[in-house]
Parts: sequence; structure tokens; C-alpha cells
Amino acid sequence: MKFRIAKEAFLDGLQQVQHVVSSRTTLPILSNVLIEASEEGLRLTTTDLDVGVSGTAQAEVSKSGATTLPVKRLVNIIRELPSAEIEVSVDGKNVASIKSGPSFFKIIGLPDGEFPPLAGFSEAKEYKIPQAIFRNALKKTSYAISTDETRYVLNGIFSSFKEGKLTLVATDGRRLAMVDHELEFPSSHETDFIIPSKAVQELQRLLGTEGDMILKLSDNQVCFEIGSSIIVSKLIEGNYPNYRQVIPGDSKERLTLSREQLLETTRRVSLLSSEKSNSVKLTFGPNQVDVMANSPDIGEANESLDVKYEGKEFSIAFNPEFLMAPLKSLEEDEVHLDLIDEMSPGVLRTEDAFLYVLMPMRVTS
Amino acid sequence: MTKETEGGQENDSENHGDQNNSQTWGLVREKLSEYISGDAFSRWFKNAELVDPEQQDGLVAVQSDMHQIWIETNYMDELRAAFAEGAGIHCSPQIVVKGDVGADLPEAVVGKIPLQQENQKIAVRGARVNNPVKVVTPNLEEKTQAFQRKLKRLGINPDFDFESFVVGDNSQFAHAACSAVAHQEGRSFNPLFIHGRAGLGKTHLMSAVAQQLLANDPKAKIVFLTAEHFANEFIEAVRKGNLDTFRKAYRHVDAMLIDDIQFIAGKERTQDEFFHTFNALLNSQTQVILTCDCPAPEIQTLEPRLISRFESGLTVELQPPGFETRVAILRRKMEQWKVELENNIVVHIANQIKSNVRRLEGALTRVASYSFLSPENMSIEKVDELLGDLVRDENTHLVTIEQIQKAVADYYNLNLSDMSSRRRPASIAFPRQIAMYLARKLTKLSLVDIGDGFGKRDHGTVIHACKKVKSDIETDPEVRGAVEKLNASLERQN
Repeated sequence: MKFRIAKEAFLDGLQQVQHVVSSRTTLPILSNVLIEASEEGLRLTTTDLDVGVSGTAQAEVSKSGATTLPVKRLVNIIRELPSAEIEVSVDGKNVASIKSGPSFFKIIGLPDGEFPPLAGFSEAKEYKIPQAIFRNALKKTSYAISTDETRYVLNGIFSSFKEGKLTLVATDGRRLAMVDHELEFPSSHETDFIIPSKAVQELQRLLGTEGDMILKLSDNQVCFEIGSSIIVSKLIEGNYPNYRQVIPGDSKERLTLSREQLLETTRRVSLLSSEKSNSVKLTFGPNQVDVMANSPDIGEANESLDVKYEGKEFSIAFNPEFLMAPLKSLEEDEVHLDLIDEMSPGVLRTEDAFLYVLMPMRVTS
Repeated sequence: MTKETEGGQENDSENHGDQNNSQTWGLVREKLSEYISGDAFSRWFKNAELVDPEQQDGLVAVQSDMHQIWIETNYMDELRAAFAEGAGIHCSPQIVVKGDVGADLPEAVVGKIPLQQENQKIAVRGARVNNPVKVVTPNLEEKTQAFQRKLKRLGINPDFDFESFVVGDNSQFAHAACSAVAHQEGRSFNPLFIHGRAGLGKTHLMSAVAQQLLANDPKAKIVFLTAEHFANEFIEAVRKGNLDTFRKAYRHVDAMLIDDIQFIAGKERTQDEFFHTFNALLNSQTQVILTCDCPAPEIQTLEPRLISRFESGLTVELQPPGFETRVAILRRKMEQWKVELENNIVVHIANQIKSNVRRLEGALTRVASYSFLSPENMSIEKVDELLGDLVRDENTHLVTIEQIQKAVADYYNLNLSDMSSRRRPASIAFPRQIAMYLARKLTKLSLVDIGDGFGKRDHGTVIHACKKVKSDIETDPEVRGAVEKLNASLERQN
């Protein structure tokens, strides 16, 4: 195999796929990137047996072929090469010679035949989704994914195609984020599945704002085609719990606030929260809300926001990180905060179909 | 909370059971509703029920997975307080899901192996539960599929647990030590070195410990493997160049259980690696259990530093079971397999197979199967016929005269030929007598045969030798020591 490639192009291509490779691999070949050279250029593929990513890079291929090379080392080398042009040739023993300007490197790879192939999707359901929509939906939910490995069903985003809508849900037991979007797909394709969080990370890295993404679904795998890149992932097996159970009914109070103001106020005030007092208290009074944090031995912070409020005075406390996360992910100017009482979860909503249920923390006086 | 309620809880007669269940739960619910909002109470606890309160306090069954997740994450403090303040029950509440049969229970059921869902369903409907929850290791039927799968993945036989191990004089100490380790009471029992001949229960006991450790902490990383497997993995790791991964796998664990450690005898590199692994584990106070078919010092070609380490904790021996224990083992198996045999048959089997529990069970299987399949009644003669080859195996393991002579000759630095020669100096004659004494003790040979084996000596000579050695044992500690040593090492050779 022999090809010439621009340093930028090679580095870009490799960086697109290298995150899937874990530093502790069970099989040596999983630390390698599969490089396939053909007249169309290079295809680079990596996998950790759960998630696989495949991307392309432009190159001048004088001799096609395939091999696998240790990706981390390769990236480190390419990054440091002095010249913008790189020449790579790989012999029959999978030894790669890399030339760039006066530098010469030789690294030993493993045969492409040993590389585990990504799953095929011959009998799959297909969906076409604008990249911008999916990217946005993931952004609004991915922070709420549970990291508790004992609840593996929650270690991903629940995705459902139903009644002309795409719905994404993520929860960790303390908060739940849900977003809907209208989408066209055949009614025979109604289904739901759970995308593992690692695949979500790769998606967020690769999704753009233009064009469509093709989603292919088989029994236990999902594939996302984004331009010339592909992400293939195992699905999380199991039944996602009934998320609708979490959403409270009618609220007592609905407050409308400026998203940015609430975010920044909370951010500033939470500087005075600590590991011990990790909460931020919102006290609602006549047409204003006081956002407070206080840590014994450290100090306190207090800031007020204007808000249209005519109910009786009451306070509720939230984890500041959990409160800020959805605010950061949204773009709307205004958000609605639906509250019941200080012991009940609050619900953050926007004009769009977005919803965020957040359990309160105990109010300390 | 009235006195009647408290008294009622202690009354465990059937009639009052359900009534108290709902009374207790009513009080808990009432208290809980004071702690959480009306919306939360109705949303999460409306259809929650108290389960099986006679056996376990605080087991609450809820409607769906989401209920379990949300309650576990958000309302456990309130629930605990509700039990304590509302019904005077101090417990760590646990949430389970009423649901389809076969759904796995959360592994957060602390200290107990999870119940089959079926029991939960029955309890929830208010009827009597037939298989009560056992606090220590429940038996096989009650282990969930998930737990069994986990055991199999680790290479542990689910049948080998504490419940199914019949304890006798031969195994009491070993069993007690293993039990202590399993319940993590024996900080000083590290390493625990279990030795005994084949078929006496070493693997069984070690598996039982593993199962209990996993039941205590489902997230525990238990390594359970044969020394052979360890050696092979090590060789592979060296070959592939990923010793790091190998070391990580075997050093960062919660317990290391290795079977048949004698296998690493003669394997220098493996012993070296094992030495380092062993040290790393002991330094981090990780429990190590080893089994071996002989005591540590008798493992041939084992590095002395390993021998001393193996002996640095607690060493226990599993000996062949005595008659009563053998009968008990047979009876236990018969109960497990729902097999019935006449008492005299059972006793006969116990008399025929003495040295090896595995063989004993094999004998029972044979006799029981035949008895089940055949119309005729089982008889002693039939048993003998069926067990012919097994009984032969029992006996071939007896020592031979030659082995005894060799061992004694070695011990006293004599030639083997001296054992049968006519030479009379005490330095030769006395060992010869010891050898005859041992031959009488350890073989089933007649006095005449023994005499023949020692250079055609008269059977009277053998009798005299036995008497003399016997009295010397009682009066001379040196002789006693020598004979005991020889006896032990000869028995072990077989």
C-alpha cells in the first residue's frame, strides 16, 4: 500500500476516529486504526467492539491496500512531522514507512484481516434525519445521561420514532431531559431503542449543522451515516423505564425567566457553593426571585432576578450544575419554570417541545 | 404508635400475618406522606406494597422500573424514617419491582442472594410464601438466573455452596475457617491454605466461599481459577507482551481463589510471577485462598519463599470422611436427588467407599439409578456387583510393601535390599521392624504375605515386630515421631 497525503488531512481524519479507542484494550488490534487505501482515498476505521467509527481522508493513492497501525502512536507522529506533505508505504508484513521532509519513521502494524469488521445493515430500518435537528436534540438531552453503571439501561439516550415524532429522553434518577421533534418516516418504522452514551459522544463530535444523517437500525445495532463518516454501535439491551411517570402534572406556579440571566446568575452564585453545601436556593417573592448559595466557613452569595410572580413567598433549592446544564444547552431567550412546592420536582420548559424535570434538594434555612 | 401494634408484629401465626402486614404498612405510609409532597406520594407510592415482612423488614414492591429508580434515588431517607418513626422498624428499606416473572431483582439486595421473582408475586398477593428467604446462603432453587450465570462465567459450580457441604470431624476446622473468611470475619486467615487428597471437597469449600463473597457484595471482583489456568494465562501474556493487562487482572481484585496450586511446581517463571502477585495481594490485604493436594512443604520443586508464604496464614486440612460423615453425605445427596434406598444399602456403600467423596457420590449415583430403573429390590450383592470397579479403585490406592520399604529405607539411609536381608545389626533390624509395623497397619495383607515381602520371614517375626514397635511408640517419642512421619507421607503418596 502506498499513498501521499497532506499532514492536515491525515491528522483530521485520524482525530475523527481516535476517540473510540480506549487506552486499556483487551485485544492489541483494538488499539489500531484500520487504514484502507483505494483510488477514492483513505478510509480510517477504529472500534472498541461496542462502538466503531469510520471516516475518510483525501489522499493520492499510488498503490491500494489495507493495514492497521497503532492509532495513538500514529497520531503523535503525524502531529510532529515537520513538512506538510507525507508519504506512507506499507509492505507485506504490515510495517509502515512514513516519510516527511527529512524525517523517517517506521512502525509495525497488524494485518487488516484481523481487524473486527463493523456490523452490516442489510435488513435495516432506515431513517433520514437532518443533522441539525439530531445534533440539537442530543445537545438538549445528553448531559442528563446516567453514569451509574449498575443502571445500565439508563447509560444512554432513549430514542423513539412514533406518530410522526422523534423523541429523545435521558435520565439519571435525579433529573430527566426530554425533547421531541417532528419527523417524517413510514409508520411501519415505528420503534424505540437506546443509544449508548459512548456512541452519543461520537455523534456529538461528528454531527454538523447541514445536510442529512441516515440512521439505520437492526435488531441490536444502530448505524449513523454522516457524510462519508459512519458510526456503528451496539444498542443497550433492555426496557427503558416509563419516563412519562416522572413528569409532574399541573404546576401551581409557572414563572417565565430570561434563560441567559438565570444561567449567569446561577453560575455566579454557585461560586459560593461547595461539596458540603452543593445547592442553590431560589426564593420567590413579589416580582422577584433571589438566588442564593451559602457554605459555612466559606461565605455566601445572593443575586436577584426580575420575574413576574404574584404568588405567596416560597423557596426551593436545586443542585446548581443540574440547573445550569439544560440552560446551557438551549438557545431560546425565555424559559418557563413550573413549580409545585419545595419538595416536588421543578419542570423547565421552552416554547418548543423540550422538558426538563429536576428534583429539588432539601432547603436549608 | 400503640403497644398493640408492636406486640402484633411479633406474633407470627398465620392468621395475623396479613393483618399485621397491612397495619404496619399503613403506619409507614401515613408517616411517609408527612415527609413528602402529596404529588410525590401519589405518583410514586400509591400502589406500593410491603412484601414478606416475616422474613425481611422494609422490602417494598413497586409498580415499575421507573418507580424503583426514582424512589431509590430520591426517597430512601424519607422511607427509612417512615419505617422507624411510623412503625418502629429500623431497617434499610429495599425496593423491588412487581412485575413479570423472570425479571431480575436489583443486585442491591444486600447480604442476601436475590430471590426468584415468583416469591415476590406470591407475597404481594397476600398469600403465604412457601420458600422463606434464608438469611445466609439460600439453596440452589432460590438463586436467580442472573446469579447463576455470573457464577458460571467465573467458573464456579453453583452446586458447590455452604448449604450443600456436609461437615464432619474430617472437615470441621476447614469448614469453619472458610465460613469465617466468607463472612469476612477472619482478618488473620490470609492466605487460607486448604489441602487434602483428591475428591475430599477443597474445590467445593472454595466455591462456597466465592459464592458467599459475591452474595455479600455483588460488585466484588472475585478471581476463581485453577493454578493451571493462571500459568497458561501468564504464558500467553508473556508471549503476547501484555503482562500489564495480566497483572491488572490479577492484582486489582477483591479476592483471589486458586485451585490446585501444586500445579505451579517446577514452573520457575510462573512461580516467580505468582510470588509477586501473591505479595501484591497480601500487601493490599486482599483475601487469598489456595487449595492443594498436599501440605505446602510437600509440594515438590516449589520455591521455599513460596512455601513459607503459603504457610504464613492459616493452613487447614480436609481428611477422608469417617463412617458417620460418609453416611450423612449419602443421605444428603439422597435428599437432594429425591432418592430412597434401604438403610442397610446406604451403610454398605459407606463401608465400601471410604477415601473419596467424589467416588462415594459416584457409587450412590450408580446404585440409585439402577434401583430406579430396575424392578428388583436392591440387595447387598447387587451393590457389590455395581460398585466392583469403584471398590477396586479404593483398594489399589493402598500402599504396597515396596513403597513402605522404600520410604523407610530412605528415611534411615539404608538400601532397599536391607529391608529383606538377613542382616541383624539394630540399625538395620529396627527400621525393618518399623517397616513391618507399617505394612501391617497400611496394607490389607496377611502376616504371611508381609513376612514373604521381607525376605521370606516367618509370620511370627512380623507379629513380634509389630508388638515391639507399638510399645516403642508409646515410650520413645523419637520412634513415635518417625513412625508418624512415615505413616503420613505414605498415606499421602496415594
